[in-house]
Amino acid sequence: MPADMFALTLPFDPSALTLEMLMAGLAMLVLILGIIVPKGARHGLGWVSLLGILGIMAVAVSLWGEKRELLNGMYLLDNYALFWKITFMTAAALVILGCMRFVDNMGNQAEYYSLTLFATLGMMVMASAGDFITFYLGLELMTLSFVILVCFRKTDAKSVEAGIKYLLLAGMSSAVLLYGLTLIYGLTGSITILEIGRIIAMQPLSPALVLAVVLVIAGLGFKVSAVPFHMWSPDVYEGAPTPVTAYLAVGSKAASFAIILRLFVSGLPGIWENWAMVMAILAAVTIIVGNLVAIPQTNIKRMLAYSSIAQAGYILVGLVTATEAGIKGVMFYCFLYVFATMAAFVVATYYYNVSGSDELRDYAGLAQRSPLLAAVMLVALLSMAGIPPLAGFAGKFYLFSSIVGDFLWLVFVGLIMSMVSVYYYLRVALVMYRDDPVDATPISVSSPVAVTLVFATIATLVIGICPGPLSEVVNGAAHTFFLH
Amino acid sequence: MSDWAGVFIFFVVALIFGAGGIATSFLIQPRRDTPLKLEPYECGMPTQGSTWIQFKTGYFLYALLFVIFDVETIYLYAWAVKFQSLGLFAFIEMIIFVFILIVGLWYAWKEGALEWQ
Repeated sequence: MPADMFALTLPFDPSALTLEMLMAGLAMLVLILGIIVPKGARHGLGWVSLLGILGIMAVAVSLWGEKRELLNGMYLLDNYALFWKITFMTAAALVILGCMRFVDNMGNQAEYYSLTLFATLGMMVMASAGDFITFYLGLELMTLSFVILVCFRKTDAKSVEAGIKYLLLAGMSSAVLLYGLTLIYGLTGSITILEIGRIIAMQPLSPALVLAVVLVIAGLGFKVSAVPFHMWSPDVYEGAPTPVTAYLAVGSKAASFAIILRLFVSGLPGIWENWAMVMAILAAVTIIVGNLVAIPQTNIKRMLAYSSIAQAGYILVGLVTATEAGIKGVMFYCFLYVFATMAAFVVATYYYNVSGSDELRDYAGLAQRSPLLAAVMLVALLSMAGIPPLAGFAGKFYLFSSIVGDFLWLVFVGLIMSMVSVYYYLRVALVMYRDDPVDATPISVSSPVAVTLVFATIATLVIGICPGPLSEVVNGAAHTFFLH
Repeated sequence: MSDWAGVFIFFVVALIFGAGGIATSFLIQPRRDTPLKLEPYECGMPTQGSTWIQFKTGYFLYALLFVIFDVETIYLYAWAVKFQSLGLFAFIEMIIFVFILIVGLWYAWKEGALEWQ
């Protein structure tokens, strides 16, 4: 027997995985508490999850500035990854705080919160992924958690239908994506993204590589619901429980953008001139279709779904140039998108609890019944439309300024469609403020929800009025992206 | 490119081989349909009654739990064979791995997945 058999030698430094281990531990803890705690006390699980997330967020902030590579670039911990992780955790914290009562009404709190946390863990793994295996593992952890969350209301046919649709289409898009990734592996002999970047830069462009890139774009296009791969999202967003829709619209999309940037900007910069135009056209089509189809929607969740498709188009714009400015635009926009979307969806969730309806016409007179809900909804929608001085304006400014040089036509597409989007966003405002309510009883907003809404609104206003500090932070994070 | 030409030829030959069999049998087969021949092909006994019946989800839950522990055994076996050289780190890792599975089983038990209703 070797003498050092029980010596603790580690093949890698596990402290780089602190955040992920804490998140996995928290998710397990919530599940275990769900078994132990009696049914009546399970509403406390939301608070446990929330405090846990805030604690892990504090650890993430304390890790700021770290720069490590695990196992030959398999796992990357840098400011870029940390920024995304903080973004995901902010979204998770807001959705948990804002929708506790909705979850209590659904029951099974332990499963709901632990799945939300596992989905967050998947996103965090994606943000740090340095190779295909890690990336795919994170992606599937996130997607499978979301599949269960989407059909969480087992007795609601719409919810189950949405779940099955999401499962099938996520499976299909994963298959397409994997096919693309295997082709890249076949051509380069490596699964590490940075290594692939070096090998592809030296190779001539082969038809197989073109096919691979197209398949990867299609697979990831599904995840961010870019047109023409967006068909699933309105149905799934409408059928899923509203808090899940909110988290799906923000978290899943942001995590996919985090990995798209890694894949394309550090993995495929060698053939940038070949995919830049594809991305630009994809962005333009997504912006146009998302905004135009949002106009005739009568269901608020469907409208927000199409609006989120359009937002995905705006974010894709930042990818086109593959420069630091573009990456910064994407990160900045995703961060502020969290607040605007969460605010809008939390209002929709709360109003659904009161009225039992997601139809736009039932929002009539909301301003008279609850000035807070109406005002928060208005600010959130105007921010998404990009009206100054709200955060959305600053975000769009950074995104579009990155492409002014070479893709001026795309800037015009974005500007014109932003103006179109103001129409359908303001239609909600019109219904809320002009029309008289059918039932004029005032709605009292419970304090956790009020805190969520006020916080999200203030964040939207502050980022919009002085984008400087956040912009500095994002600059630093985008800079570390290129240092590996 | 010559390496890839081989793959291409292989692909074409495979296509001809598959399509050729179907085409030949289509061309030379005698066509005498009997009711039995027109039935959809199925192995086993002819079905009795409606085929759209519901299965108990209990089977599914048992199968799922079985698969989890089946896969666990695969990992445990590989680890056990190399136990001496892997050392304490792998031991701790395995304990965490088994712990996670036990939490899952505990939850399933508590939720009544092991009760046959």
